[in-house]
Amino acid sequence: MKALLRWSVLAFALTVLAGSPAFAAKDVVFAVASQFTTTDPYDANDTLSQAMAKSFYEGLFGFDKDMKLIPVLAESYDVSKDGLAYTIKLKKGIKFQDGTDFKADAVKVCLDRVTNPENKLKRYGLYNNNIAKVEVVDDYTARITLKTPFSPFINQLAHPSTVMISPTALKKWGNKDIAFHPVGTGPFEFVEWKQTDYLKVKKFDGYWRKGYPKVDTITWKPVVDNNTRAALMQTGEAHFTFPVPYEVAEVLKSKPDLEVVAAPSIVLRYLSMNTQQKPFDNPKVRQAIAYAINKDALAKVAFAGYATPAEGVAPQGVEYAVKLGPWPYDVAKAKELMKEAGYPNGFETELWSAYNHSTAQKVTQFLQQQLQQIGIKTKITLLEVGQRVEKVESWQDAATAPVRLYYVGWSTSTGEADWALRPLLASESWPPRLFNTAYFKDAQFDADIKNAQLTTNGGEKAKLYKDAQEVIWKEAPWAPLVVEKLLSAHNKKLSGVYVIPDASFNFTDIDLK
Amino acid sequence: MLQYLLKRLLGLIPTLALVGVLVFLFVHLLPGDPARLAAGPDATPETVALVRQDLGLDKSLPEQFVRFVGGVVRGDFGRSLRSKRPVSTEIGERFAPTFWLTVWSMVWSVAFGMAIGVISAVWRNRWPDRLGMTLAVSGISFPAFALGMVLMQIFSVQLNWLPTVGADTWRHYILPSVTLGAAVAAIMARFTRSSFVDILQEDYVRTARAKGLPESRVIAKHGLRNALIPVVTMMGLQFGFLLGGSIVVEVVFNWPGMGRLLVDSVDARDYPVIQGLVLLFSLEFVLINLIVDVLYAVINPTIRYR
Repeated sequence: MKALLRWSVLAFALTVLAGSPAFAAKDVVFAVASQFTTTDPYDANDTLSQAMAKSFYEGLFGFDKDMKLIPVLAESYDVSKDGLAYTIKLKKGIKFQDGTDFKADAVKVCLDRVTNPENKLKRYGLYNNNIAKVEVVDDYTARITLKTPFSPFINQLAHPSTVMISPTALKKWGNKDIAFHPVGTGPFEFVEWKQTDYLKVKKFDGYWRKGYPKVDTITWKPVVDNNTRAALMQTGEAHFTFPVPYEVAEVLKSKPDLEVVAAPSIVLRYLSMNTQQKPFDNPKVRQAIAYAINKDALAKVAFAGYATPAEGVAPQGVEYAVKLGPWPYDVAKAKELMKEAGYPNGFETELWSAYNHSTAQKVTQFLQQQLQQIGIKTKITLLEVGQRVEKVESWQDAATAPVRLYYVGWSTSTGEADWALRPLLASESWPPRLFNTAYFKDAQFDADIKNAQLTTNGGEKAKLYKDAQEVIWKEAPWAPLVVEKLLSAHNKKLSGVYVIPDASFNFTDIDLK
Repeated sequence: MLQYLLKRLLGLIPTLALVGVLVFLFVHLLPGDPARLAAGPDATPETVALVRQDLGLDKSLPEQFVRFVGGVVRGDFGRSLRSKRPVSTEIGERFAPTFWLTVWSMVWSVAFGMAIGVISAVWRNRWPDRLGMTLAVSGISFPAFALGMVLMQIFSVQLNWLPTVGADTWRHYILPSVTLGAAVAAIMARFTRSSFVDILQEDYVRTARAKGLPESRVIAKHGLRNALIPVVTMMGLQFGFLLGGSIVVEVVFNWPGMGRLLVDSVDARDYPVIQGLVLLFSLEFVLINLIVDVLYAVINPTIRYR
């Protein structure tokens, strides 16, 4: 009864607060689409958990709101001539939230932890098992030595997984329990995590960027249902929400105190074709399919206009991405190619989607209708996540892989070309290893990717990646479809919160009027 | 009576054991590899192997089964594959919100449903009956997610009277319990009505009327009590279903309950949590059935258990 009374008083207080425009504490509420799996970025595979962890964690490097690589806790770095040793100078005078000084030992502790298979962390694979050793040169200098040269290494350090955890806290809580007691150098301190309800963080007074953060608390509220999140924005119970489904965007736009933002993304949607199987082993068939799809219409029909036709193999915004398209829509040409390939009357095949949400349904129906124009009859299956894992991602034998046409997407969270191309198209990346669902294999492409990893020369690298992307464009293991836009909504009183192109968030400048 | 209760409670054990075996097998038959799901699409096979080891899924099926049974006997249901927290904590946190939501929905819907049922039966085929049954049919046919949305749009967004999501204060309970109870109230109304209509034609009702009892007494004492038996059975069943957590209502109102937990766990192939939940649901059903049986004896003293 007492508890009930207390809650009622609190509820009353909250209602009063919410009703008055000027209140002392700046408490911000984010409504997000799913529950957090963990607060430990090294053990998370979902973008959302990693975005949330930016509240209390920072990396040596990071991305700004336009996905440009910037040093965060690092001051500068240089690479040895052979491309193996990375010496990283750290900023001075930074403290963890538990009072520990941020020094080079943190770099060693954190990287040693993730690269040790005994710790069984989900991000073990991010560094390709390529880190030979991490050394503390002096308090503010760390040296990381690689086994083989890997030029996008700094991007791996900028990935939202690579954050600096307080060594003291790690020792205190241990490898697993640190997820319930996160301690980093970030602008906010962890307060509490009620898995079902919310995760709350409060301003860290000792934050190294003077004058930041500008708000007192952030409450991260997972709200699963799209319409419910929209309702929360309308009542003012939440200040920011992502993602906003296309169908409610118009409703939210009409509200005077809300703003809907469509941000550019590096989320590429494509249709991969199993190049090891007839008839997709014939490049002409693959090109015909790419020609037969009207990408502009697709963006309008399935994405309500919140997408643009893909202009290349890697979306613009990814480092070293080359603009090659969009692939033209030309049914006559497609028919001609089909005839040349020996399929004047088309054929029947399977069309799978990696997702079973309503947008994927619209996309696959649209593709089915488009492919019918050149005589290709498709049977649509929207794979549930377990089926997808079983039938596509962990299929062991390439020769019998049942996947044919496969609608899927990719977001390059390291922001550079290697991670945009290698996992999806290199011959070493066939499932179950990685994500090359086209089972594409091309010697020149593989060599370009390999050589680009080895070189530290920027111009050379750009040339190699350009060549690799042109190979793909010509061979067409995919029909590139669209690049999505990321729809978020925020209250006009809130500023400084951005959805960055890989669908993570940047809220360094967060402020509430 | 006590002996009967003991006997029934002992009978629980084989039932739950059987459910346990079945759910273990079914869960492991689901397509999809939980280790791969947990590791994510961009994980390498080495990482997947590490995750599999971490989750204890590298052991053989019989070995996993022995571990599961051994744990359950000691009251340990394992740890969630997703959150790494004990299954008992995961379920425990969500039990109370679902339980109280169920109780409040049942309270209003039974009271409301029975009142409508009695009124409809007494004024059979006249306007109160028509009105009551129209309400009941709408209650059954209106889908819960739509009702929830409409209520939220009106009372939270437009009028700003009630909060949208959360389970903190009594005000949070109003909309979800109305949504959840609507179908139950409708079912209760129809059941009470048909049961009451039958009773009102019984000989003892005619006798009661013949000896000059006022109609209100005839209905309240002779009618209601006898009409309750099928109604209580239905109540028990509905209660059992609602306790499983309504997926739709919990999603719409972001209710931190067990329905959502079940959906999330199936999506993530979180074996231990699914097993724990299904066992709990079975236990609840068996217990509710027992309570219903006991209630029969309370309502109708001619029923005796030995």
